[in-house]
Amino acid sequence: MNKKIFILGGGQSALYAAREIRKNNRDAEITILGEEKFIPYERPPLSKDFLLNKRIDEDLYFCSKETLEEEKINYLNTIIIKVDFENNILVSEDNKQYTYDTLLISTGSKNRKLNINSEVDDEIFYLRNLEEANNIKEKALGKKNILIIGGGFIGLEIASSFSQLNKNISLVEVGNQLMGRIIPNQIADLVKQFHENEGNKIILNKTISEITKINEKYKILLNDNTEIISDLIVAGIGSIPNVGLFENTKLKLDNGIVTNEFCETNIKNVYASGDVSNFYHPLYAKYMRLESYQHAQNHGLCAGKNISGIKTEYSSIPWMWSDQFNLNLQLTGICDDYDEIVERGKRIDDGIIYFFLKNKKIKGACGLGIAGKVGRDIRITSKLTEKNTIVDSSLLSDQSQKLNKLIQK
Amino acid sequence: MADENWIEVGSTDSIEEEDLIRFDHQDKTFCVYRLTDGFYATDGICTHEAVHLEDGLVMDDEIECPMHQGIFNIKSGEALSPPACDDLKTYPVKVDNDKIFIKIN
Repeated sequence: MNKKIFILGGGQSALYAAREIRKNNRDAEITILGEEKFIPYERPPLSKDFLLNKRIDEDLYFCSKETLEEEKINYLNTIIIKVDFENNILVSEDNKQYTYDTLLISTGSKNRKLNINSEVDDEIFYLRNLEEANNIKEKALGKKNILIIGGGFIGLEIASSFSQLNKNISLVEVGNQLMGRIIPNQIADLVKQFHENEGNKIILNKTISEITKINEKYKILLNDNTEIISDLIVAGIGSIPNVGLFENTKLKLDNGIVTNEFCETNIKNVYASGDVSNFYHPLYAKYMRLESYQHAQNHGLCAGKNISGIKTEYSSIPWMWSDQFNLNLQLTGICDDYDEIVERGKRIDDGIIYFFLKNKKIKGACGLGIAGKVGRDIRITSKLTEKNTIVDSSLLSDQSQKLNKLIQK
Repeated sequence: MADENWIEVGSTDSIEEEDLIRFDHQDKTFCVYRLTDGFYATDGICTHEAVHLEDGLVMDDEIECPMHQGIFNIKSGEALSPPACDDLKTYPVKVDNDKIFIKIN
C-alpha cells in the first residue's frame, strides 16, 4: 500500500514540501489540507502590487492547478478540528476522517488582534491572506484618510501602497523605532525619513487609548490625547503561531511547534515547517521561529526531504526583504549580537548596508537601497556568515571594493 | 559584410571573470556575463519583477536577482529558484578581435 502523507496547512511551506516529496517518491499519496479556497499562493505581493492593482489573484499562485494534478498532489479545502496523534487520524469540520502515515504541520501563523472596544474591534482590518487583501482593497475605494496601527513590515508596506494611491496615511507605532523587533535602528531611521518625505505621518512611542465611530469615520485618541480622524483602520501588530489545534495534545509546543534541525517534532512521523515551527538552528545553536518567504520555502523543502528519507539538516541563514515605495530593504542573519558595526555606502540610491560583526565574523547585515542595490552584497554576506569567514572591515566599508572576492570557494 | 544582427557590446576585458555588465540597446536592457568557459547574454530584467539583474550575484553558471533572490541559469535562461517562475531569454554571443558581440534578433 502506498504511504499516505498529509500536510496540514495550505501555504508556501506546505506546497514546497509536497513537491519535494513527490520529486523523491513517485507513489506516495500526498494531500494538502488547506483552510483557504485558493491553492497555495505568494503572500508578499498582497500588501504591495495587489493593493496597487498591478497583480491579480491568478498572478499569485506558485503553480497552476494543472501542475498540482500532474504531480498528483491533492489540495483539499477543509478545516481540520481535531488531530488524534495516538491513532494517526485527522478529523475535519464536516466530520470526515483522514488517516495518515506521515503528517507535516505547516499551519503558519495568524494575526495578533487588537482589543480596543467591542464597537470597533470587528471593523479593524488585518492583512494576511487574499480574502483580507481583497476586503481592504474594496473598503479603501474612495476613502482618503487611513490609519495604520503597527510600524512593522506589513504596516509600512500598506502605508507605502496607499500613499502611492494618494491617500493620507497616519501610522502609529508603540515602540521607539519602526520595525523594532528585527531591524537595526540605523536602517529604521532611514525608512522613517523616506516615508515622511513621501508625506506619510509616522507617530512613534504612542498607543491607542480610544477609538470612537462617528458616522462612517473613526476618531482615534492616542495616549498623549492627540486625535486622528480616519476612514479606515488597518492593523499589523505581529503574528502568533497557529497551534490552537494542538493544545492539550502530546505535541510539544513552545512559541510554536518545537522541532529539531530535521523538522521532526517530538512525535514520530510528525513534522513541522514554516512559521509555525520553533526550530533548532545548528549554526546559531538555539531555537528560533521565523516568518519569511525564504524560510517558508526552504523549511518546507527540508521537511519534504526528511519525510522522503533523505536526512537533511536545516541551517539556512535567515534572510528577508521588504519593498516600500521604490526601496528594497534586506536583512540577513541576526543583527543583535555584535561587537562592531561597519557601515557601507552613504546614499540610498547606491545602497547603504550596516554589518554587525562579532570577533571579526559577520553575524548579520541589514541594507536599504533603491530597487536591488543592496541585494548582491547582502547575498554575499549570507554566504560569509554561513562559512563563518573572518572579514576585513575596511573592505566591507569601502563601496568601491567588490565583496565577491571575500567568498572562498 | 558585417551581420547587422550582431551588436557590439564592448571589449572582453570590460567584464571580470564570474561577473556581468549591463548593456542597453535601443529600448532594451541586456546582461552580458563572463563565465569561466566564455561569454553569455540574457535579458537584463528579472522575469519576476522589473528589477535590473546587473546588481545580481553571479555564481558559477547562475545569476541571482538582487531583489528577491530568484535564480536563473545564465546559459539556458531557466528559472531555477522561486520567486522566479518564467525563464529568462538568452542570446547568442561571439567574440571577435577581443570584442564581444550579441545577436539580438
